[in-house]
Amino acid sequence: MKYLAALVLAISLLPLSASSQQSASINGYISNAESGETLISANVDILDSRKGTSSNTSGYFALTNIEPGTHTIVATYIGFERFKQEITLEPGEKRRLDIELKPEGYQLDEVVVESQREKEDQRNIGMAQVKTEMIKKIPTAFQADVFRSLQLLPGVKAASDFSSGLYIRGGSPDQTLILLDRTTVYNPSHFFGFFSTFNPDAVKDVRLYKGGYPAKYGGRLGSVLTIYNKDGNRNEFAGSATIGMLASRVSIEGPIKNGSYMLAFRRSTLEPILAILQESNENIPESFYFWDLNGKINYDANQNNKLSLAFYSGVDDLKFPFAEDASVNLNYGNQTLSANWTHIFSENIFSNFTLTGSRYFNFPSFDIASTPFERNNNIYDFSLKGDIEYLPNNKHEISSGFWIGNLTLKLRDEFDGQETFSSRIQSQYGSLYLQDKWSISDKWSITPGLRLATFSEGNYVRLEPRLSMEYRPSNRVRLQAAYGRYNQFLTLVSNEAFTGFDVWLTTDEGVPPAYGNQYVIGAKTIPWEGYGFDVELYYRSMKNLFEPDPFLPDRAGLPYAETFRFGKGYAYGAELFFERQIGDLTGFIGYNFSVTRRKFPDFNEPVLVNGPARFYPPKYDRIHDLNVVLEYDISRRWSSTLVFNYATGQAFTQPLGRTTAFDFPTSSSNLDQLLVGRVNASRLPPYHRLDIGVSRKGTFFGIGEAEWQFQLINAYSRRNIWFYNYDLDKNPAQREDIQLLPLLPTISYTLDF
Amino acid sequence: MKYLSIYVCLLLLLSGCELYEQDEYQEYYVVESYLIANDELPNVRLSTTSEITKEYSFKKNAVSDADVEIRLLNADSTVAETFPYSETNNGIYVSRVSATVQSKHLYQLHVVTPSGDTVTSTTYVPGDFSTVNDLQNRYTYQSEEQIEVTTTPSSYITGRQAFYIFSVNVVNPDSDNLTPFYRDLVINQENDIGNYFKNSSGIINEGNYEQNENGNITLTVPWLAIAFYELNDVIASAIDNNMYDFLRSQDVQTGGTSLSPGEIQNIRYNVKGGIGVFGSMATDTNRIYIERPQTITNQ
Repeated sequence: MKYLAALVLAISLLPLSASSQQSASINGYISNAESGETLISANVDILDSRKGTSSNTSGYFALTNIEPGTHTIVATYIGFERFKQEITLEPGEKRRLDIELKPEGYQLDEVVVESQREKEDQRNIGMAQVKTEMIKKIPTAFQADVFRSLQLLPGVKAASDFSSGLYIRGGSPDQTLILLDRTTVYNPSHFFGFFSTFNPDAVKDVRLYKGGYPAKYGGRLGSVLTIYNKDGNRNEFAGSATIGMLASRVSIEGPIKNGSYMLAFRRSTLEPILAILQESNENIPESFYFWDLNGKINYDANQNNKLSLAFYSGVDDLKFPFAEDASVNLNYGNQTLSANWTHIFSENIFSNFTLTGSRYFNFPSFDIASTPFERNNNIYDFSLKGDIEYLPNNKHEISSGFWIGNLTLKLRDEFDGQETFSSRIQSQYGSLYLQDKWSISDKWSITPGLRLATFSEGNYVRLEPRLSMEYRPSNRVRLQAAYGRYNQFLTLVSNEAFTGFDVWLTTDEGVPPAYGNQYVIGAKTIPWEGYGFDVELYYRSMKNLFEPDPFLPDRAGLPYAETFRFGKGYAYGAELFFERQIGDLTGFIGYNFSVTRRKFPDFNEPVLVNGPARFYPPKYDRIHDLNVVLEYDISRRWSSTLVFNYATGQAFTQPLGRTTAFDFPTSSSNLDQLLVGRVNASRLPPYHRLDIGVSRKGTFFGIGEAEWQFQLINAYSRRNIWFYNYDLDKNPAQREDIQLLPLLPTISYTLDF
Repeated sequence: MKYLSIYVCLLLLLSGCELYEQDEYQEYYVVESYLIANDELPNVRLSTTSEITKEYSFKKNAVSDADVEIRLLNADSTVAETFPYSETNNGIYVSRVSATVQSKHLYQLHVVTPSGDTVTSTTYVPGDFSTVNDLQNRYTYQSEEQIEVTTTPSSYITGRQAFYIFSVNVVNPDSDNLTPFYRDLVINQENDIGNYFKNSSGIINEGNYEQNENGNITLTVPWLAIAFYELNDVIASAIDNNMYDFLRSQDVQTGGTSLSPGEIQNIRYNVKGGIGVFGSMATDTNRIYIERPQTITNQ
């Protein structure tokens, strides 16, 4: 630990002596003038030079090595008025310039002029960003949802209408690191996976590193999703309340002395629907609810020190007496807490230190005929992380940092009053990274990085090189490439249909971490002003994928390593993204061609013994996936949205034959058996769905602005298939379609005050 | 030519043309037989599989006129004794000689079909075990006093831990004797009462139980296992690898795992030249009487 801190400090301070004494510099925060919220990835340029940068995730920017003299500083951010100021810098001057940008409602055409630079960060390789306004506007079943919006991006897929899990570039949901205010979230779902836990009222920034992600992050094979909650309005009290069909939410924010606060609460409102259903149906839960609470307090100790405390708490609770003398209860949720200290060492050294705590729990219990089954599953993750950014000159952006933590996984099962399984895994983890974004010339930049990751359970140390390059043949074209090595020390036991029983497991002796390489090349272009056209090609390998053997009925008495199966896989694909940002009609078209394969020993073998295991496509593999997202501003009051998705049908296994065991000694019924060929070698019918939404803005008795949203999910009622069920009680066997969402109207009302 | 092949590859790639194609249906021989330690040699069923779109029945798919034998093997897998079988009904073969299945021994099923194909499978009969505690004659349903069975341990050829299945078999099935949970399943949810005549646990590893100084283990029978009041047989079974593999993979096929719905895998059969189960087990049975609790009697 001592050495770790020393190394980070040494890396950070080493180049200090190299900074120029004669040139000037500008640094500061960029924020929203109305709310005081810092703006992430806002652009700052010196007009008469080629110098420019973007604000980091704290809203901070720094421009160094500026020639003394008079310059014009310009700051821009989509949806905000252009900031322009002339300043005169003396030799050696270190000017602190905090910039406030004013929101600019409907003058999009003007704003777009700067969009080329504004979207620099968002259009880095493998990266995508979703605006919170878009999350709220896009039609989604029952409730605006962060993950549902992300699933519209090329390369991101959903397992089904019922699952908000993120399947990114051939990776399963556990291959995506999810960070809320820099804190790991282990089960980001409500309603057993239907929604994500993130309340759109509380969210400020959502960015997804789909692949080839930088050395700053690690611990997952595939991708990283970072979500930052709002800091809260620093200028005035404000709030919002939304009444929806499934859940309602309320949020407030406002200033405190030298800071701000934000609170956002959401709760399901299913009780009336359950009461009605209970009158006419028997198998309806006695109660079900979920809620979540997000909060943040910010305090600026002085110009160079900012403190914040953020928390999240959310719970799902179900009580369901599903038969006489039989009931199931389930209580699960997440809690996170992060304390953040942002410190500016000097105009060109910026740092951020965060103490994080994350807890995930689930407590399912069944009581059938006075036979209880109870599970007590807890994950506690406490960590400390630090990130230091150092800008020695305009050619280099050096960043380094550490992340150390203690992860505890406790799992205890009881059946009929007796403990049947108990494990307590405690592991210390740590990582160090160093990265340099080196702008070789106006056209070329290269970002080498190295990450060292350790995990004590099994004593694993892994080195992860990362590299990305960019070449700009013109102002409108960016050619990019990235490579990265990634390791994962955790695996998730889950089911795409139900996330309430999720269990995480770790590496150990005999269970080495999964690892893989990612290769990405891409081109980001601006064919015309206000338009964007991006292409990315990727290939990724997945080795040593470890997951609990699904064919083990009972793990008791088996060594830990023997309870796993170890497989491998690969994925490759092409993503196209065409975007229009100007005019009344905005939106994007995303297309994804992808192939994903997995292989596990003793799985997908020919039916007769001794055949070799074969690669197979997982169920979520879709060859073609097309998304069209459009928004049309009909007038200042009325706007409409449209989302259309077309995708190749998911993979499924076609039964070919059948037989039956008639005499199995411990069973009074015949045991039917299916004969299959290659696993998942058939395809469901293509999936397609159209969602439309209309919203009307107005005022609510002068209290504030209000908005009605009317949405039609699956507007032409396409009965997409989730999977086929084969009824072997029928002879010949009959195939039954298990369908996804039907036509679903939803309505919501939002009041901003 | 070089460019042409590149174009073809690209076209295949972009059209998503998969080389991973669905197999055609193929017919297999199916065997089924279970040796139970200390019981007589069991019957053997021989049939074929049926295409999923076709009607299936054992009678229709039965294979007659096969040459069926069960062989007792020595430890080195040489044949110690052969038990010839003859067909009684279509596809059902019975031993021509009377013989008792010996625990801790290897047996082989050897079938030559009329068309000359050979189907074989081998099983090791788990070590016999017995109950060592005295059970009460009568237990009151859902009372605090549960049925406890203490048995000697079973052993297996590989030295692996024992895999158990615990069953409660009703002696005189009667819908009036269904316990409340099962009554609801049968009467209100229209499940077949026959499904509960033998009410079995899943596979339970020996490692789930604490062994006492003699190596014995004690099982508490959960009330969930009791589907009927009155006379029941509580049976503990230690199963061989063939039954273990069959049951655990058949269970996955019918759902209830972390696999995605629709992702179906073949069952693990340890049969050469066909599919099916040639399994074995050692069992121990105790008969008990389940009384209705007072409150339920009064209902």
